[in-house]
Amino acid sequence: MEIFAALSVVLTDPLILMWVFLAAIVGMIVGAIPGLTASAAIAMLLPVTFYMQPLAALAFLYVIGKSGRYGGSIAAILFNTPGTAASAATQIDGYPLSKRGMSSKAMKVATISSVIGDFIGEILLIAGIAVIAAIALKLGPPELFAVYFAAFVVIGSVIGKSITRGLASAALGVLIKMVGLDPISSEERFTFGSFDLTNGISLVPLMIGIFVLGEVFSQLEARGQKIEQFDDSQTEDAKAKNQLSWSEYKPCLPHALRSSFIGAFIGMLPGLGSAIAAFVAYGEGKRRAKTPETWGKGALEGIAAPEAANNAVSGPSMAPLLTLGIPGSTIGAILVGVFLIHGIQIGPTLFLTQKELVYQLFACGLVGILAYGVIGYFGASYVGRFILKIPTDVMYPIIFLTSFVAAYSSRGNLFDVLVMAIAGFGGWLMKRYDFNPAAFVISFVLAGGAEETFRQSLLLSDHGALIFFTRPVAFGFLLLGVVAVVARARSLNKQAKAASLNDA
Amino acid sequence: MSTQRLNSTMIIGLGLTGLGLAAVVASFGINLDHDGGWGARTFPLVGSATLVVLGVLEMLKGRAMQPVPTNTQETSEANPLARIITLLILSFAYLWLIGKIGYLISTGLAAVAALMVFGIRNPLGLTLAAILCPLVYHLIFFVLLGVFPPYGEWFEPLDIIQGY
Repeated sequence: MEIFAALSVVLTDPLILMWVFLAAIVGMIVGAIPGLTASAAIAMLLPVTFYMQPLAALAFLYVIGKSGRYGGSIAAILFNTPGTAASAATQIDGYPLSKRGMSSKAMKVATISSVIGDFIGEILLIAGIAVIAAIALKLGPPELFAVYFAAFVVIGSVIGKSITRGLASAALGVLIKMVGLDPISSEERFTFGSFDLTNGISLVPLMIGIFVLGEVFSQLEARGQKIEQFDDSQTEDAKAKNQLSWSEYKPCLPHALRSSFIGAFIGMLPGLGSAIAAFVAYGEGKRRAKTPETWGKGALEGIAAPEAANNAVSGPSMAPLLTLGIPGSTIGAILVGVFLIHGIQIGPTLFLTQKELVYQLFACGLVGILAYGVIGYFGASYVGRFILKIPTDVMYPIIFLTSFVAAYSSRGNLFDVLVMAIAGFGGWLMKRYDFNPAAFVISFVLAGGAEETFRQSLLLSDHGALIFFTRPVAFGFLLLGVVAVVARARSLNKQAKAASLNDA
Repeated sequence: MSTQRLNSTMIIGLGLTGLGLAAVVASFGINLDHDGGWGARTFPLVGSATLVVLGVLEMLKGRAMQPVPTNTQETSEANPLARIITLLILSFAYLWLIGKIGYLISTGLAAVAALMVFGIRNPLGLTLAAILCPLVYHLIFFVLLGVFPPYGEWFEPLDIIQGY
């Protein structure tokens, strides 16, 4: 019932509503710009939110994340270039419809499905989070360490093309987090005599470097690639062709509902994210479709399934973050920075200390879904046209400069700017050579908690590391990590064998 | 004896192994706890050792791969790489300049240089960027948000405009 009280607070606060609506527009535009992601926008805007009230700051970034996920579909459908990795599945059926002059219809299906998915995900989060938090409160250090271990391994191995490079990204994230003073013994680690390094590497400049400056490097590399757009004709016939009737959307509804639950489930698992949810939902939708042969050639259901799943991830991905302090996505990792800067301790106790704030954030999420849904339904094609008018050769240099000012603003420290510049180049290298920047950042965020729980567990134990194997829940999570790597390795092997057979 | 060429996977594996070994050595440089325990050393050492193992695996994977013949794409990639290196140098030069002459002038210069790296050559546009970028950032971050600005060691234009 807390959500109704929170909704009444949010709906009667014009300032919060303004931030939510602004976030819906910003997220949509950023998500629709090919190459720029919601994570990049959030990382860049993060220092600005340090000067806002906690709820306004969190709501602003949270809704940008939601709206950005939806915005990716605009680029996928209109320009045949997915704005985000998650919208690549939408592109499969969205772009053929665009080529037939039905981009507005495709956008309407994407909008309705995104809203359905996001609402279902958010409602499941609201309904289930108190239960998860109550369970999380019962977990001791060994169980929590095992959860961290499973998260490292799953995040490192499941996303991306290479298990070894994904896990190496996670290991690098852990090592970078170790720089500075040991939190327990205050021993210097990896500081090499540098005073600046004794304070450790700050999360905000690292993220701005990886997600913002790294993207500027990538865009510079990809410069000159032309974006193709098929604009809808403005004739009466074309307008009629782009109307979406109930009979047309009705077959999409079961796909949207099923995919929403698929997305919500995948969202709860740390690190898997929207892209995997979208492709799993697309595959499952096609398998169950009455006319699977039309999928890939412009089927409306082929848009509904991945879009619903992609957006349903958003809410549940907050569950591990808010209950265990484990970010389930890059956006979650960035939100950790906001919580920290406002002095809010995330984890199981959050629901004891900041319950109202958490539910007000969820209420903002619900309002944000409605906002981007309405704006997107009536204005997605205008957003698409607006984006084509943005000169990227001017926009990326401005983003380049902004990343420097934003990195400096977080702590007023030029060393942070140096960290950001190095992380930017590193982020570009990671993307170029199939490493996993998301695993790197999430592991960086997780490493502190993992080390703390590991050392606490050893203090509790009379038999050293055996404590992790004698407690069933802890052992279960350790096993989950190992199973995830083995399963992923087998699936990659199968794919490689199939590819070599196809080549032969 | 085989004369297998180093492919990118092997080079990456070699890099990871080297980085991991350096981190292992640095981990052993971390002092032990007061009671002689490895507490502060454990995580850095595990992370470093993991990197070594993954680097070796990557090298083995590289060894098993067929050598990829050089294609024309590699030569066409030379230009983007030059631009990337230019932008990297610009990043460090901008940072160094902020420390020496403050952020106002350095941002104006960096704006022009960044636009040029992205292919903008219009003199009017470049002039406008040199003036507008420092002005807008100054107003948003240092006036509205109240961030304390970085001061230039050699020269600081903020001394002249007296904090406006």
